[in-house]
Amino acid sequence: MDTLTTESPNHRTDPVQARRPPRRWYRDPLGCLHLTIATVLAERGVEPLDPLGAGWGFQHLPGHVRGEEFYYPHAGDDLGPALAPHHPLRAVWSATPEGEDPLRTFSDTIAAGGLVIAAVDKYHLPFRPAYHDVHAAHLVVVYGVDRTRGLVWVSDSQPPGFSGAMRVEDFLAAHASANPADEQDAFFSDSTIARRYLAVELAEPFHELDENGLAAALRANVAGFLAAGDEQNWTGMAGLRRYVDSLVAAASEGRQAPLRQAYTFGWSMQASAYLHSELLRLRGVQWQRPALREAARDVLAVATAWTPVRVTAAHGWPDPPAAEAALSQHCTRLVGRYEEALAAVAALGGPHDFKEVPR
Amino acid sequence: MQQMPDRSVALTQRPVDLRPYLNNVGVTTIAETGSGRFNVWRNSFAAEDLPDQGERTVVEAVTFQLSNLGSEEPDNVRCDRQYIPVPAGHFDWLYVLGAGERRVEDLVALHFADGTVDFEPLRLTDFWAAPPAFGETLAFQTVMHYPQHVQFGVPARMWCQRVPVVRRARLAGLRLPANAAAHIFAATLVGGLSSEPDRVGAEENS
Repeated sequence: MDTLTTESPNHRTDPVQARRPPRRWYRDPLGCLHLTIATVLAERGVEPLDPLGAGWGFQHLPGHVRGEEFYYPHAGDDLGPALAPHHPLRAVWSATPEGEDPLRTFSDTIAAGGLVIAAVDKYHLPFRPAYHDVHAAHLVVVYGVDRTRGLVWVSDSQPPGFSGAMRVEDFLAAHASANPADEQDAFFSDSTIARRYLAVELAEPFHELDENGLAAALRANVAGFLAAGDEQNWTGMAGLRRYVDSLVAAASEGRQAPLRQAYTFGWSMQASAYLHSELLRLRGVQWQRPALREAARDVLAVATAWTPVRVTAAHGWPDPPAAEAALSQHCTRLVGRYEEALAAVAALGGPHDFKEVPR
Repeated sequence: MQQMPDRSVALTQRPVDLRPYLNNVGVTTIAETGSGRFNVWRNSFAAEDLPDQGERTVVEAVTFQLSNLGSEEPDNVRCDRQYIPVPAGHFDWLYVLGAGERRVEDLVALHFADGTVDFEPLRLTDFWAAPPAFGETLAFQTVMHYPQHVQFGVPARMWCQRVPVVRRARLAGLRLPANAAAHIFAATLVGGLSSEPDRVGAEENS
């Protein structure tokens, strides 16, 4: 007997579904971590850019980068403080122990009105381009379980995009996959999925970000950039400089792993800058603050400056010394973009300084 | 009603010959999707959805020359500091058909005949299912080719973007940025509105 039919009689076996498929939230510069969390937040009526875009910083944890699209540097099991440092967001990783049924927890969460973000291997997802081709770690939002018919409802906002039911056997294969090393994906394979899932919680009441709130967040972000990190936690501008120096040194010394990881890690910091830029731009429109929109563009330039660092590392990792010169150039420019954007954000000051245009 | 005088100006269009600089296969046929190398995942545009090889194509009233589409030969320039001489002349815009491996912005060095150089922005949106991020127009959209299959629902997009030629001087060449994320399939210089600047004062700097 499989684990699906050995649950206690008290366990929910009826079909459980959200009242509607979640609206798929997509922005092309983001990976599945931000996309799934944003989807869950939007379903709760929260503008995702508020919590996910208010914080902006740099953090690198040497030796901690995992080969997963959803890698994000953070300490402990809770991603909330890293993703949304100015909001009461909790995003906690758990894993269903072997021998237990992961769908049990998912059913209970969905029955209580929640959604679950589940780690999966794209190889087993029929709607992904990688299906039966490439192993790669990914996240989907689970919004329904029907044990009787053997179905799991999942939502994936990454193109081609999917909302619907898949066979429970496929889902469990994806969710429990060892995600073995795959030469077609040097960046997001070779990292076991191991039935991990992410529970997103938001403390109530959740206030919309106002001008004072944004000003406080900006001040804290600037302070974070200027603070010193330590040996295990490379943060702020000092951490950024240390990171790019280490990356260029790795290329010079022919070490491949740091270049492979730069594609993955760089996405996390690129996403952070993009989200912050989008928040500043949209608030700059909403509040009629040109200075916010200009700072948004400076922060966006940080996000786009990550592209050649990531792409050069991704193409160059098999022969690191050959990539050194280009990486060095792109890293130098990246640091410059951070400096410019940080100066622009610092110059915004408080909410009164946003107000150079009469309302 | 009185007829307005005809003030239309015939704009000069000079396609830039990129053939010596093509270094990347970004377009494949259904039969050979495995030869694509546009991005690190080896995705590519579908030749079947693009203009016929050898024909000049018009986008936004600008005529472009695409090359080698679907031939398994390089069909685009992945930017790597190539210096490309251009037909000497006065131009207002460098129009390009291109796309990014993810969203990318960098600088093109415009070299003028008198030795001056201006750095102007080249901004390209991701080719992979993204909306235009830098105000480009969509030149072409194809299905996405993967190394071993054709993927519906994930459009590959080629953008029509432009780079300003601000200086009123005779252009002589372009230096592309060293940026592996930026791909250019075709480029055409467009001009005719600008003329030589007033020479008054020019001697003071000579």
